[in-house]
Amino acid sequence: MYFKKIVTGFYVLLLSVLLGAGFVSAAGPAKPINVGALNDMTGATSDVGRDYALGIAEAIHYVNDTGGINGKQIKLHQFDYGYRVPEALTKYKLFQRLKCVAVLGWGTGDTEALSPTVTKDKMPYVSASYSGHLTDPKKTPYNLFFATDYSTNARASITAWFDKKWPKHADYGKRKPRFACSYQFSSPYSSAPIKAIKDQATILGFDIGPDQDVSLFAIDTKSQNLALKEFKPDVVWHGNTTMSVSATIRDAYSLGLGADHMSNCWGFDENLPKMAAKAAEGTMGAAVCAFFGEKVPGMDKVVAYAKKYNPGIPASKRLIRTVQAWGDVLILQEALKRADKAGKLDGESILKLGFETMNKFDIGLGAPPVTFTATDHRVAGIVPVYEIKDGKFQLVDKVDLKGRWPEKWAKEWIGW
Amino acid sequence: MSTTFLPCGVYHENYKQDHAWWQTRFIKSKMFLLLVSLFFIIPRISDSYWLSICNQIGYTVLGALGVQLLIGFCGQVTLGHAAFLAVGAYVSTLLVLEFPWPALLVEWGLAYPISIFISAIVAGIWCVLFGLPSARVKGFYLILTTMAAQFITVDFVITQYVSQIGGRGQAFSLPVGTIKVGPWVIDSDIKVYYMMIVLVIVCVVGVVNLLRSRVGRAWVAIRDNDISAEVMGIDIVKYKLLAFFVAGFIGGIAGAVWISNLAAISPEHFPWFWSLWLVGVVLIGGAGSIHGTIFGSIFMVVVMELLQMAVMPLADTYPKLLLDFLFIKESAFGLAICLFLIFEPNGLAYRWWQAKNYFNLWPFSY
Repeated sequence: MYFKKIVTGFYVLLLSVLLGAGFVSAAGPAKPINVGALNDMTGATSDVGRDYALGIAEAIHYVNDTGGINGKQIKLHQFDYGYRVPEALTKYKLFQRLKCVAVLGWGTGDTEALSPTVTKDKMPYVSASYSGHLTDPKKTPYNLFFATDYSTNARASITAWFDKKWPKHADYGKRKPRFACSYQFSSPYSSAPIKAIKDQATILGFDIGPDQDVSLFAIDTKSQNLALKEFKPDVVWHGNTTMSVSATIRDAYSLGLGADHMSNCWGFDENLPKMAAKAAEGTMGAAVCAFFGEKVPGMDKVVAYAKKYNPGIPASKRLIRTVQAWGDVLILQEALKRADKAGKLDGESILKLGFETMNKFDIGLGAPPVTFTATDHRVAGIVPVYEIKDGKFQLVDKVDLKGRWPEKWAKEWIGW
Repeated sequence: MSTTFLPCGVYHENYKQDHAWWQTRFIKSKMFLLLVSLFFIIPRISDSYWLSICNQIGYTVLGALGVQLLIGFCGQVTLGHAAFLAVGAYVSTLLVLEFPWPALLVEWGLAYPISIFISAIVAGIWCVLFGLPSARVKGFYLILTTMAAQFITVDFVITQYVSQIGGRGQAFSLPVGTIKVGPWVIDSDIKVYYMMIVLVIVCVVGVVNLLRSRVGRAWVAIRDNDISAEVMGIDIVKYKLLAFFVAGFIGGIAGAVWISNLAAISPEHFPWFWSLWLVGVVLIGGAGSIHGTIFGSIFMVVVMELLQMAVMPLADTYPKLLLDFLFIKESAFGLAICLFLIFEPNGLAYRWWQAKNYFNLWPFSY
């Protein structure tokens, strides 16, 4: 009984202190601009999500340190939702209650799930999901991101392989190249560009083999690689995140699959050559901005803020994900500034007077200049494709999809 | 018969009085006030956020009701109930999106209500399939077979096959306007709230009445001692499977209703953790009590939200707190179960029972 009283007393005291500290700290200079952020620090995509989350917080610090939104500070409400769609839906409602003017989202599943709702609520939703399904303003007007979308990246990667690698193959001119996809079927992120990449493979004249279902958590993919071996692909496209992609590439190497590899952007970062070592050599992928620490405009700030706010994590461990987070924050900052200047900081104004007035807006960081129009939310049609050589990323080609297939780009390829 | 003491001076003179739902004028007034609060006061004073919390409570009640019936009243421990919610949700979604409904039914807004009923039946039958091992095994072994329901249903059948319908292997999108009940398009929290509250009341009344019947008494007998129950002539396999059917049926309703609150549905909505969560609700609320299901649901949802509210103002001082909130939430869930099992193993329903008795017997509550 005495023990029970002590335990109860302890919890009451702890709660009172925490609440007290909270209310004291809550008081301060008024009227910041509220922005919500959903990140994955613990879920299926946390291998890339953690660095992105750190980048979001650091970039918001940078925005606030450099004058905020025309003098107004941004108050960031950043939550880990563990890559769980229901948790994301709940947090979105919380953001509404907190009067957030925009949300910095994360996964494809939750972003696509929330898409009709954000459209109805007119809530600008800048996500780390670059799903092509989110690029058509007729269907998803309030979904935006600074990068080229997954479908565009996938089309560019397979085109770059076809242009640069296939002509050097011993069987070039004798048969069609063989292509297969490896990804988690049930993951909205992984499966988002499948239709587009297969369409591009058909356009380029590939033989398409059976898809392989590989979990985002995969550490052993031998059965999938053995299945692939029967088809003998020349190139395999990987749709998962880095941890799973590295496991698949490692197994492909050890089983002697003999195919080249391409990866979606969230499976293609500084950790891939570290985890897959030799097996990662030659892997290609579209990078939506510069890698962490590369010498490009704006990178000095990214590196400095990473050091300032997360000094415990050495620069060698930071990833391109931080830079991607900065990209999304910087376009949101610009949109908020433009809307605020026009005197209207509501969702519709942020979209119409902010995002959709950006025409080749340069955020630096090695990202393509950003253009949003009322009819097209794809930021650019030229995609740089990289290859891993000696553990480093080297530019292979800049694929101009818009210039090469102008009709299809304008009329057919938007929104999927 | 009521399990609480009647207020001083109230006597029953016949069985009708003894078995009445609302036995005294005071109870009738209380229930009237409760209904007024549920239908008029709460919707008026709550903003969209609090209505969404109420909807979560409703969803948890519907989900946990089946678990309560199985664990609390029939003694069949289940750890895979989220699977049956998933079956309900997916059947309803597929029916609404893919089934060629006659135009008249769509126009009258009957497609979705009919889909709720069908999905409940399908979920009930699916639940019976996984209840079949209960004829031969019990205890830990039954827990494992019910866990299999989760993995076979959600991780295998739904993820690998059902989710593939439509070609992209992703969430089924439920555009605004898809869910319609009669003339009402369910497109706001308040409409979901009203639908939820009606279904929660119907299901609670249904289960409570079932428990007052021969079937309910058979379930309780099986829970207390299945061998004795069989000796008394109860067909225990039949009644166990009936319990699984009813639990799955209610789970199916829960899943089908939940889709009205979503813009899209994917297997991620029904993780195994949710099955565990529903058992936690029953343990905290009190096993063997319908009140307990409701109290447990309110406690689990509201306490988590209050915890979040307590943490949010601290974020300025401790910025990592919000990012770590998922840990805090899950730790609080584990801690709550531990504390209840140690200090209040009969759950919140027992406290409610004690409080009611105290006031009913006052001033002679000794």
